[in-house]
Order: sequence, then C-alpha cells, then structure tokens
Amino acid sequence: MDTMAGIAETERAIQPAARVDASLRLAFEFDHASGRTVLATSHQQPPLRVVRAFTLADAAALVHLHNVSGGLLGGDHLALRVSAGAGARVQLTTTGAMRIYHPRQEAAATTQVTEITVGESALLEYVPDPIIPFAGARYLQRTSIQLAQGAGLFWWEILAPGREARGEIFEYECVEMRADLTAMGRPIAAERIRLEPRNRALDSLARLGPYRTWAAFYICRTGVEAGAWIALENELREMAASFARADEVRWGISTLVAHGLVIRGAAKHGRDVLRGLHAFWSSARLRLYNREAVPPRKVY
Amino acid sequence: MEPEFAVKTPQAFSHLDELRLLHLADSALPIGGLAHSFGLETLASKEILRTGDLPEFLRGYLEEAGMMEAVFCREASRLARGEQEMSFTGRWVEINNLLSARKPAKEARAGSASLGLNFLATVAGLGEFPLLREALRASKQSASLVHHSTAFGLACGAMTLDEDRAVLAFLHQSMASLVSACQRILPLGQTEATRILWNLKPPIVETAERSAACTIDEVCCFAPLLDWGAMEHPALSTRLFIS
Repeated sequence: MDTMAGIAETERAIQPAARVDASLRLAFEFDHASGRTVLATSHQQPPLRVVRAFTLADAAALVHLHNVSGGLLGGDHLALRVSAGAGARVQLTTTGAMRIYHPRQEAAATTQVTEITVGESALLEYVPDPIIPFAGARYLQRTSIQLAQGAGLFWWEILAPGREARGEIFEYECVEMRADLTAMGRPIAAERIRLEPRNRALDSLARLGPYRTWAAFYICRTGVEAGAWIALENELREMAASFARADEVRWGISTLVAHGLVIRGAAKHGRDVLRGLHAFWSSARLRLYNREAVPPRKVY
Repeated sequence: MEPEFAVKTPQAFSHLDELRLLHLADSALPIGGLAHSFGLETLASKEILRTGDLPEFLRGYLEEAGMMEAVFCREASRLARGEQEMSFTGRWVEINNLLSARKPAKEARAGSASLGLNFLATVAGLGEFPLLREALRASKQSASLVHHSTAFGLACGAMTLDEDRAVLAFLHQSMASLVSACQRILPLGQTEATRILWNLKPPIVETAERSAACTIDEVCCFAPLLDWGAMEHPALSTRLFIS
C-alpha cells in the first residue's frame, strides 16, 4: 500500500464507531496540605482502568494503567488524557506490554490517542511497557505532550518486533506512531514513523539494520539552560558506552532544539533496551531533580 | 513509462530558469555542502555501512529522510508563491521549527541549519530577492534555524522556478553530496560512485512524485541507524566531517 494512502486509511479508521471505545482521563494535583500529589479526578471507560494512586517515597503519585481486556483487537480505540497540575509529581506505568492482536480482515486499525499536559513545575514520568504488534496487526498511535514553564518529563516508548519468543518478527502489517512534544507552545520534538515491513524492509541499513527493538526516551525540563543539557548528553553518552554491546544494542543521545534531550535505542533483544532505559532514567533524574528515579515495582 | 507528477505546473520553464536551478543545486555553491556527512561517517567508521551496501542504503535514505526533506522543500516553495493563509514570516519560522523538531540528532539538525542559512544568505545576495531577505531577518529575530530543504524551496519559489523541478534538483544534489561523502570515507571509486548516483535517479523521481501529495504534518521518517550515526558522530576519535 502506498504510504499516503495508508495514512489516509488509518485516519479514516479512527473515525467510525470503534469495537471498543475506551477512555481514561486522569487529573493529578499537588496537595499543599499533605505535600503529596493526589489523583484528583479519574474518569474511566473500560477496558482501561486505574485502581488507585500510590504515594512514592518522593511524594509523587504512581498509577498503573490497566487494560483489563489483556490486549487490543482490530477497531479498538483507546483515549488517554492526563494532566499534571502545577507542582504535581506523577509516575505512570502499565501493568504489562500492550499487545496488538491479529485483527479480522475487515477490521479497522487499532488506535490509541494520548494527550498529556504537564503544568508549571510539575513532573511526569511515563514509562510504559513495550508495544508488541502481533502478526497482521494494524496499529495507529497519536501522542501529544505539552510542557509548561519548569515542567519536567521522562517518557519512553518501546516498540517490539512482534512475539520474539515464537520467532514472530516484523510480521505486523502496519504500525504508525505520531508524537508531538511542545514546550511552552514551541515544538521541541516530533515523531512521524510508519512501519510497513512488507513494503519497506526494516532490516535496511537506512532503518533498523540488524536490530529489532526500537526505543525513544525523552528527558525534558523546561527552563534548564542549554549548557546543562550538553553536559547531561555527554554524561549519558559515556554511560551508554560503558554498557553498550555494539553487536546487540546501539544507543544514541542528543540534545533537542531546547529544554531536553532524546535517547534512541536499537537492540536485537528487548531486554537490553529496558536495562539501558532504566539506567539512563536513574542518572538523568539524579542530575535534573537531585534524586534517583523510583522505578515501579513490577517484574520486567 | 515516463513518471508523471501529481501536480503539474503549466508555466514555461525558460532556459534562464534551467540555468538558475542548475546553479542553486550545484555542489560548488559555497555553502559548505562538503563538510557534513549526516551520520554516514559514523556508520562507515563502525563498519556498519560498507561500499556494497550503498545502493540499497541510499534508496532507503531517499524513502525516509529524502521524502521528509522533499515535502518541506515543497512547503517552502508554496509559501514563497503565496499559497499559504498565514503571514509569510510566521509560517516561514513555523515550518523551520517543525523541521527542527523532526530532526532528533543535533549533528544532523545543525548541519542542515548551517547549509540552509549559508544557502539563503548566498542566494539573497545574488539579486533583488526581498522575500529571501525577509526570511533571513525573521529567522534571526526569532532565533529559529533555517534548514537547507526549506531554504532551497523558498529560493526556488521566490524565483518562480517550477516546484517539481526544484524538488528533483534538491533531492539530486542531496544524494550527490552523500555519494561524494561516501567517496571520502569508504573505498568507493569515481566510476562506481557515478554509477550509484546514476541508478538513484528513478527513486529520486519516485520520491519527488510521492512528496507532491503529502503534507508536512503527515510525512513520516524512520531512520534510527542514521540518527544513531549522527548522534554518535561527535564521539568519533577521528573525523573528516563537521559535527
């Protein structure tokens, strides 16, 4: 399928009545009385669920995003809207990988739309599990994140090649991921990727080459001066060199136009990606917030 | 079969237009086009990219990064011809900011911006082109980068050069620059380099055609190894190219 025709098709697919139309709206606020961040508002439309917010050691609110259906089918549509109010500290994670199942032939694409706003001096850490598109899957994702003055962000995404353990590699039909990251109204990062392994070989050296799992990790804090980002870039690059095994995983680190940096990972196996992301997260968190990251307690 | 563009430009393309376009796309234009490898030097240095890989690699490059640059080049060309609703300066800065956001690697972003600014300043000094001077002023005032593809499109649009031809010329000179870079970092002789660039012409045409029907919000680019190469370039112990 031609790329443009494909995009048009997935755009249309997002419009009609979805098989599952789930939504989750979460609003976090900093509670001055207790000094903690609280989940002030939660609107949930199954199968997306949040049970409760846990308070972390640094008074941040940790929330696990559940998809109680276990995975997504063709035509499913998920909408996630999160706001972190001024001064709030929030950590979002998932309870497991996002599995995009093989759809019926006539089914529309599976879609997810995520809109996040991070208020003044707030911090959002959004560290979901990988996306695993099964054979034949068609998946379209839109993410927009807006950062206010002094707002911070640690956000990664991991795209697996499929069910690696059963040798299902790049057998999905299409994955399209769009992301727009703005800081005080100015675009600082944007992703537009469309992967169609049958039409455009992902093992091309212009794309993933010998690697299979792809990750992007955005680390931002608006207002931090450019020199500090360059120093952090160099620090993280040295760290990457210390644990990168070139034949297994590659890490690239670069400052953004302003207010942050991005880390790109390409690995033969997903486990190498997670290990690296956690190390970068911890180190960057310490540098930017004088405190190491508090990873969510779960089995990776 | 001869390729056909989705958008046909009926206007005549004079001999003078032809010569001007050749000049703007000439690698001898003094904008620093030979100083950047956009990550290729890292890929070659780490022995990820070898001479035999080049034809396939460059085709993939065209499909991803080439396509994105082509769409932004068109957008700037249309802006110069007044086919946008926003004010010229606001949209010019916005287009470049959006392209900056699409370039995750600082090295590639800075390389594109260096070429773009040099190109625009050079061409603005070649004649009476108030639009180009206005673009330079707006970019400087807003501390916005000027990218090569957008500068090329804008200049061609300001001279009312045919949009399709402008995109073709931009893509061709981009690929010629990359092949030239490869001659300096890989065991690639003149004959083979010439053959590679010659064989890239059909995919260049195909990319230019596809870009005609795509918007800057839609166009996709997935080139993680190239991004990695650009991000890691400053860490190479010996470099022929700027980062």
